[in-house]
Amino acid sequence: MVAVENITQLIQEKARELLSSGQVELVIGYQRASDGVTARPAFVRKAEDAGKLIFDQTCTHNLGKYAIEHRGKSLAIVAKACDTFGINVLIQEKQIVREKTYVIGINCPGVVESSFGETGDRLQYRCQICQEHAPAVFDYIVGDPILEKPLDFDPYAKVKELEALPQEERIAFWEKHFDRCIRCYACRNACPQCYCTECVVEQIDPNWVGAPIQVPEKQIFHVIRAFHLAGRCIGCNECERVCPVGIPLSLLNMKFSLEVEQQFGYKPGRDPEVCAPLATYQPDEDLGIGG
Amino acid sequence: MSLDYEPRIIGFLCNWCAFAGADLAGTTRTTYPSNIRIIRVPCSGRVDPLLVLKAFQQGADAVLIAGCHPGDCHYVQGNYYARRRFALLRQFLDYLGIEKERLRLEWVSASEGRKFSRLVTEMTQEVARLGPRKDTVKRPARQAPVLRPLGQEEAAPALKGGAAAPAKSGGE
Repeated sequence: MVAVENITQLIQEKARELLSSGQVELVIGYQRASDGVTARPAFVRKAEDAGKLIFDQTCTHNLGKYAIEHRGKSLAIVAKACDTFGINVLIQEKQIVREKTYVIGINCPGVVESSFGETGDRLQYRCQICQEHAPAVFDYIVGDPILEKPLDFDPYAKVKELEALPQEERIAFWEKHFDRCIRCYACRNACPQCYCTECVVEQIDPNWVGAPIQVPEKQIFHVIRAFHLAGRCIGCNECERVCPVGIPLSLLNMKFSLEVEQQFGYKPGRDPEVCAPLATYQPDEDLGIGG
Repeated sequence: MSLDYEPRIIGFLCNWCAFAGADLAGTTRTTYPSNIRIIRVPCSGRVDPLLVLKAFQQGADAVLIAGCHPGDCHYVQGNYYARRRFALLRQFLDYLGIEKERLRLEWVSASEGRKFSRLVTEMTQEVARLGPRKDTVKRPARQAPVLRPLGQEEAAPALKGGAAAPAKSGGE
């Protein structure tokens, strides 16, 4: 793993400084999990607790989710490069106030695949395809800039592979995966871009997505969630990581990312001032639909 | 026109243009297939992708969304948003195994009764050619419960030696 001790130290110093000066009331970061090797989210409210903050390549969580939960407070948040894109989306959608959010950005070396008690050297797939290691929004930046190397493979290869399959195989593929869904909604709960106070799948009146645990209902849930993330998903892949039955949710979200990129040339979270593709339009565009 | 398969098409028509267009087709006695079930909506921009998915789930063979021509929207920009939305959804449905042809967004003005008629005829033929849907979004038909007066319920059939329980008698 890449040496990141100095990042930990810098984060701790900054957290201590922010909390003791009263600039923020809460620092959201990472701390060592109870298994001793992986990381879990940490909420530091006192300067003397800042020592428990860490950063290494097991810090996989997207902490943007907690920024929404603590909205209204002045807080500092430790954010990897991709997490800062999520923060930008939240700023763009007026869910968090930029002035009240102190972003400790990290030039992120990528995070590794890990599970409880286990960690390795293998980068997560989202980090293997990552081409933007530098945070897009930050007040304080830690870590050495990482040299961006062009990819020698197509990041959307998996999506394109699935697209190329015959229709029957695609149907069978998705049926196999959606059939396993237990509707625990972990994907939605982990997603920093899923913040509706009443989620459409839990709405009772009108009851658009039914209660039965059958493939059609589960499929509607996943499709509508993916659609709600179209042009907003920053590819942090938390949904897939937390899925207890291992549904390849990134294949849904990446399909939309690919379409949004191809049709509208847009990548979410890079600039909060640019309007999201589904919230704007060009009067004269030709999208191959409508006539 | 005779078809091997009678598709069911759900049409979301905007109140200001397409619905009036369909109305004109009726008043001018222009015929179109009865395979389309029309739902009037205030604007094509009102059509949430959820409505489309729900229609597919309930067994629609195809969904047509028709609104005002670009620039003519009663709400100025609703159809522009709809265009972006369904351009994405269409690609995505194809990815899941619902053919692109089953979702269409069309512009029909209040004076285009003929266009509406032509559109529905064309779409019906196209969807009939595709045949029934093969994907899994469609909810399997549920048997209607049989209601009996209290005290007269049929005894549940006994389970046969570990085999799967036979479905409770009832339904049609």
